[in-house]
Amino acid sequence: MAGDKKLKMSKTKMFLRIIFKSLKVRRNRVFITFFSIMIGAAIITALSSVYFDISTKMSRELRAYGANFFIGPSASSGSKAIDLPVIEAAIKMVPPGRLIGASPYIYGVVRLDLGNAVMAGVDFAGLRRLSPYWQVEGKWIVVDFDDDSCMIGKTLAKNMELKVGDSVNVVRTETGFQKTLQIKGLAETGQAEDEQIFVNLTLAGKILGLEGKANHAMLSIVSAGLDIDGLASQIQGKFQGIDAKPIRKVSYSEGRILEKIKGMMALVALIILTVTTLCVMTTLIAVVSERTREIGLMKAIGADNKSIVMQFLSETLMIGLAGVAAGLIVGFILAQVLGQAVFGSSISFRIIVLPLTLIPSIAAALLAAAIPVRMTVNVAPAQALKEE
Amino acid sequence: MKKIVLETKGLIKRFGSVTSLNNINIQVAEGEWVSIMGPSGSGKTTMLNILSCLDTLTEGQYILDGVDTSRLTEKEQVVVRREKIGLIFQQFHLVPYLTALENVLLAQYYHSIIDKNDAKEALEHVGLGHRINHLPSQLSGGEQQRVCIARALINQPAIILADEPTGNLDEANEEIILNHFKGLHKEGRTIILVTHNPELAEFSDRVIRLHHGRVEEDVRLQG
Repeated sequence: MAGDKKLKMSKTKMFLRIIFKSLKVRRNRVFITFFSIMIGAAIITALSSVYFDISTKMSRELRAYGANFFIGPSASSGSKAIDLPVIEAAIKMVPPGRLIGASPYIYGVVRLDLGNAVMAGVDFAGLRRLSPYWQVEGKWIVVDFDDDSCMIGKTLAKNMELKVGDSVNVVRTETGFQKTLQIKGLAETGQAEDEQIFVNLTLAGKILGLEGKANHAMLSIVSAGLDIDGLASQIQGKFQGIDAKPIRKVSYSEGRILEKIKGMMALVALIILTVTTLCVMTTLIAVVSERTREIGLMKAIGADNKSIVMQFLSETLMIGLAGVAAGLIVGFILAQVLGQAVFGSSISFRIIVLPLTLIPSIAAALLAAAIPVRMTVNVAPAQALKEE
Repeated sequence: MKKIVLETKGLIKRFGSVTSLNNINIQVAEGEWVSIMGPSGSGKTTMLNILSCLDTLTEGQYILDGVDTSRLTEKEQVVVRREKIGLIFQQFHLVPYLTALENVLLAQYYHSIIDKNDAKEALEHVGLGHRINHLPSQLSGGEQQRVCIARALINQPAIILADEPTGNLDEANEEIILNHFKGLHKEGRTIILVTHNPELAEFSDRVIRLHHGRVEEDVRLQG
């Protein structure tokens, strides 16, 4: 037994010696194969690393397009407004780290100097996070308790001949409330808000005679990996007379964009793998052609096809493993570059990326070796040794 | 009566419509040194390829050390080559990236057991004990051929088949190789040698002359 072991070890040693020397003597070809596999593995590593982070990161990016969740009174409640503490409590039910921004809204019609307009009471801090796409001329209102300022939609401002810094009289006929407000900013949203005037929630409540109330709230939630329908059910279950729901149009679009990006990444990975396979195959075919006489000699002195195939596959496997190892490192660095460039943050390392890179890369390398290995089997020793 | 190591019966080899070997019937006894001679195109190399199981025959029988090789599969032919034949080539055919020692070990590797000492001894036997770690490119033609001889002998084959072993050598090296063949013959090895060189052939026991794929002459030389 000990003798068998010694014999096996020395045969293994000889096998490895043949392989290493054979690789060493073909440095250029080996480098091309190694480099091809490394590039393929690096792209797969980078794309798969980004793939697993993209849902969260893209979802955050897509939140720039506005609210995707609505909380308001249910139709069955018969009410048009909800108590603010209820809305605040409902907003707090959003899991930590998921809420990008939220604002309650209260609406009413007021008279301005040149005509009537819809006034919206909002939480300016929340609104700014909720609607980062708004184009504001002048300034956002940053202090929640600023009762002397307002923001005004661009269209309304044009119709009322108002500009930043002007004063505007706001009158609510029903309550007799009258206040002069200074315009801090003009908002261009491309939506109905362009015809509205915005004041803080407390002031709006006073003007409209609806203090401590809101008509609804809009929320911007990072929905990737979150059961957003489950959250809506939880909120509805906890608060009577509340309707909570994701805004389907936005959520669905987000999902589709993510799926398309993921699909494109998979396609890019597939193309890169195909190119890698072809490049490795071409190089290995050239290697086999160069080594026809050597293969013929090995067969002539007693090597069977299995030994020759094992040798070529082992050589490919060794180059492949080295290429994958280098590709993992390069790919992870590439992922960080992509992460910083696209999302402004780093990409986390995930252990699943290892098999996701290793298996397809090695499979591609071995697949690429299939035709060259077949060529080695077909080498006729008498013919190979005769060729000059 | 010596044991017959190699025998062909009605051996025919065709390449398409061309008959390269036609009805070859020879017997080679154990310890015999046979030279196969003939002009270019007479079928010498084809004959050697078939005798060394590097190629297959079209018709007839080829029995080597009791094994009828004409019915063997490719895999079984490899085993016969590995177990029973030692090959020596005109162009030496050493693996260029392996040292002299490793080239000899390679034959052991495919055969069975790797024994560095045996391989070293084989190289010492051909006068290359001091060159074992040299690559073929660092050896002269004669030295490369001696490595080739050591490799052919390392697994104790039933026969040694040599194709123009001195064809690429200068006179001095030719003599060295010739002396090695004389030594092998003395040791009782069976040798089949394909050669153009009458000086080399004259040391053999027998000369078989081929012409147009047929045995034209099979003469026993006076020792």
